[in-house]
Amino acid sequence: MYARWVLTALLAWPLLAGLIVLLLPARLAKYVALAASLVEFVISVPLWWTFVPNGGMQFLFDRAWIPAWGIHFTVGLDGISLFLVLLTTFLMPLSILGSWTYITKREAGFYALLLVLTTGMIGVFVALDLFLFYVMWEVMLIPMYFIIGVWGGDNRLYAAIKFFIYTFLGSLLMLVAIIVLYLHAARATGVYSFGYAHLLSNAKDLGPAAWWLFGAFFLAFAIKVPIFPLHTWLPDAHVEAPTAGSVILAGVLLKMGTYGFLRFALPFFPAVALNQNVQLVIVVLSLIGIIYGGLVAMVQPDFKKLVAYSSVAHLGFVMLGIWALTLQSVQGALLIMINHGISTGALFFLVGMLYERRHSRLIEAYGGIARVVPLFAAILTIVSLSSIALPGTNGFVGEFLVLLGSFRIYPIATALATSGVIIAAAYLLTALQRVIYNPLKHPANEQLTDLTPRELAVLIPLLVGILWLGIYPKPFLQRMEPSARSLIEQMRPQQ
Amino acid sequence: MSLDPAVYSDLLLSLLPELVLTGWALVLLLFVAWRHRTARDLRIAGWLTLVALLSTAIAVWWLWWNRAALQGPGTVAMIALDDFRWVADWVFLGAAALTVLISFAYLEREQLLIPEYYVLLIFATLGMMVMAAGADLIVIFLGLELMSVAVYVLAGLDRRRARSAEAALKYFLLGAFASGFLLYGIALAYGATGTTNLGLIGGQVSIMGKPSVMLLAGLALLIVGFAFKIAAVPFHMWAPDVYDGSPTPVTAFMATGVKAAAFAALFRVLNQAFAPVAAWHDILWWLAVVTMIGGNLFALGQRSLKRMLAYSSVAHAGYLLVAVTAGGAAGTSAFLVYVIAYTLMSLGAFAVLSAKGRAGESDVLIDDLAGLASQRPWLAFALAVCMLSLLGFPGTAGFIGKWYILIAATSAGQNTLAAILVLTSVVSAGYYLPVIMAMYMKPQPVEAAHAGVHLDRWGRTAVAVVVVGLLLFGVWPNRLFDLAKSAGNSVHATAETAATPP
Repeated sequence: MYARWVLTALLAWPLLAGLIVLLLPARLAKYVALAASLVEFVISVPLWWTFVPNGGMQFLFDRAWIPAWGIHFTVGLDGISLFLVLLTTFLMPLSILGSWTYITKREAGFYALLLVLTTGMIGVFVALDLFLFYVMWEVMLIPMYFIIGVWGGDNRLYAAIKFFIYTFLGSLLMLVAIIVLYLHAARATGVYSFGYAHLLSNAKDLGPAAWWLFGAFFLAFAIKVPIFPLHTWLPDAHVEAPTAGSVILAGVLLKMGTYGFLRFALPFFPAVALNQNVQLVIVVLSLIGIIYGGLVAMVQPDFKKLVAYSSVAHLGFVMLGIWALTLQSVQGALLIMINHGISTGALFFLVGMLYERRHSRLIEAYGGIARVVPLFAAILTIVSLSSIALPGTNGFVGEFLVLLGSFRIYPIATALATSGVIIAAAYLLTALQRVIYNPLKHPANEQLTDLTPRELAVLIPLLVGILWLGIYPKPFLQRMEPSARSLIEQMRPQQ
Repeated sequence: MSLDPAVYSDLLLSLLPELVLTGWALVLLLFVAWRHRTARDLRIAGWLTLVALLSTAIAVWWLWWNRAALQGPGTVAMIALDDFRWVADWVFLGAAALTVLISFAYLEREQLLIPEYYVLLIFATLGMMVMAAGADLIVIFLGLELMSVAVYVLAGLDRRRARSAEAALKYFLLGAFASGFLLYGIALAYGATGTTNLGLIGGQVSIMGKPSVMLLAGLALLIVGFAFKIAAVPFHMWAPDVYDGSPTPVTAFMATGVKAAAFAALFRVLNQAFAPVAAWHDILWWLAVVTMIGGNLFALGQRSLKRMLAYSSVAHAGYLLVAVTAGGAAGTSAFLVYVIAYTLMSLGAFAVLSAKGRAGESDVLIDDLAGLASQRPWLAFALAVCMLSLLGFPGTAGFIGKWYILIAATSAGQNTLAAILVLTSVVSAGYYLPVIMAMYMKPQPVEAAHAGVHLDRWGRTAVAVVVVGLLLFGVWPNRLFDLAKSAGNSVHATAETAATPP
């Protein structure tokens, strides 16, 4: 019963709750939304125990949707998507709680959109029908567009349309690629179906078309990740979005790109993905992302922008890990995907809390506030250290595994990527020093209030995650290992 | 019940919907000759029009219901009796009915107390139905002229405004020119094959093997004539000015019904008469590419909402041309699905525009919608749904239609065309999104900027029908597909049987 319906319930509930939020009076919106997202989290938690790490799809559910084209509503989970779903349901209540006082206008709309967004994000991770995947991929675009455009900062219109058009461009080409794959499989077998397994098993012998198709998928996912030259939408969107928007953008939306590589681009086109030149290009771009992202973060006067650029660097590690395609590196990449959601999410929350108090995100506007807000300072320090990948925190485990796993395949690139860890320390520790240490020079900062219980309620679950993943990541690694292994075997059958 | 077109009563029966509508048009003409002074007369005429459209739709439905029995014994007919015709008829009748719903308040507000408006609307619809039914070039031409003449007058209805007169004149001159092309094309096709019947032309062409120069010239002229009517680039020059100058409900009708009718006739001509001629695929390929690129790029530069919608309808003609180029049963079904979606979303957008504007709406800028969402949330929501659907966003009928066209194009091996379609769709985000952005993300320029924005009960009904239709077909298009599929197959089947000469 649970195994059969859980994913459908996870998809349907936020949508329904979003409608309820819209219908109720606006002052109830945040309470209802918080309750709904907690219910969503509670529904998703038993996945952790009932999931059997065997490398296959589980919690499958399948219904015909548009039979004329062989479109089904097919959902399922494996060790790759399990954590992304859990991360989504975990971050949602925190985002809602984190927006409690930040969002003051049109509250009902905001919380309803957050809930609809949840459906879209979970849908992307669990869809096993490429039509459904595409629909979900696009559906989450609209709520995010509105969240940035309506509740964002001063430059929000520009950021919102840039975000939309970048993503739309990539995804539409992917749409054509999906249709070509569908027709190719239909010609080979006579079966018209958008089912993941069906298309996967018939994606062979595409010939030179595989290059174009891979290119279309690559563009869609690379924009989302984002990979180096396509990253320019990210700083704008992250900085202009309200706190909850930034948290979800960084925490979940970016992972859709890397998830897309793992689920679609790699297994569908192994010949292209394993081509020497393709690998070279992607590894170099990931490296540029790691180093360039870090260097640009170093010179940002705006704390939020600094965190945004640090995302480019972190996702570079993920890409490196995915493309090295060893068991450790893929597991490490998956772990960084989770860690980045937690740590960067926490950083965005903290920056948002500062902004609510002082209405400035400039690093310069602060300094020495550890004396005024010690609790805030302590948490910011821990979170920053986890983002730097200090041993004992979650960041370390992921980046260590990626570097360990990739070294065998790309020794030089991995050696260079290691410098990314040092650059991360350079920009985050400097920022930390300038914000919470140094002399207290701005009188306005003397009146800052420390974290409220509500804000602690947002941050403490994230801190627990940071320490748990840092000290005892085994339950996570155990659950993702079979899926990672089967992906690698699929890609490199000879090993 | 098997209809034999050689028997008069059967021929009349196969024209039942057209006859019903003609009868109503005459009744309405008598009525407006007798009562044409007050707003109340106008409203009664509107209601009679709705009844006329409804009873015609029922007649179409009746023939559709008995469609299995209708297939005549292989005689050559001037009137087609296939599902394609019935579905196309419903599109025209639906577009006309929605136009009537948004016309009630509009005509009174703009002081256009001209009940002949509704008579002309019915005659235009009749022309469209004849076009979709015509299995003979002459019948198609008659339908086209009946429709066009009525629409020329409708465009110039607001005779106090110079813009409206300009629109009518421009439309008339260029439309007459296009009709000339079409007629010349028909003459050449007749000269080459000795017949104007689509099926017989198809038979002749397949015997001929290599098509003669005269036939190709006729085909080219026919395509030019139709390209004028559907406003394909580079034959689109008239469209922005005419759409801009005409009263908004007329513009809505032109952008949907007239365009759909011209496409339906084009489909039939190409698939039934010229199926064996490969040349038209190349011509339409280029026409589609140029129209998609041109329409989208021109629309990008517009600041007036009405003009933007005019250019966007040019862009959508390009998407429909992709379906024509793909051809075959899949292309025809894709065309029907898209045309239904397009009719809904385009009419919805014009309906909301007619609520916002004054004096022809040509001066409503996109930025004038700023803050609409906080004042008129439902109207803003409706326009947002229409914009997303025009953009082809999942969850709306526009997406389903685009997806269908993409499938038709890729299965016909037109991958490049599919790629161009999606790339130009990205461009279209550049002009559809600013509308949403203005409504939701910008504050009102002045206090009570939208105080006068109002749709009456019937306009609201029309918009509600559109929004529900767009969302419903966007999520649950199964019924629509079944209908479109059988319609697509019917045209294709006739084309194949026609290819073997009697």
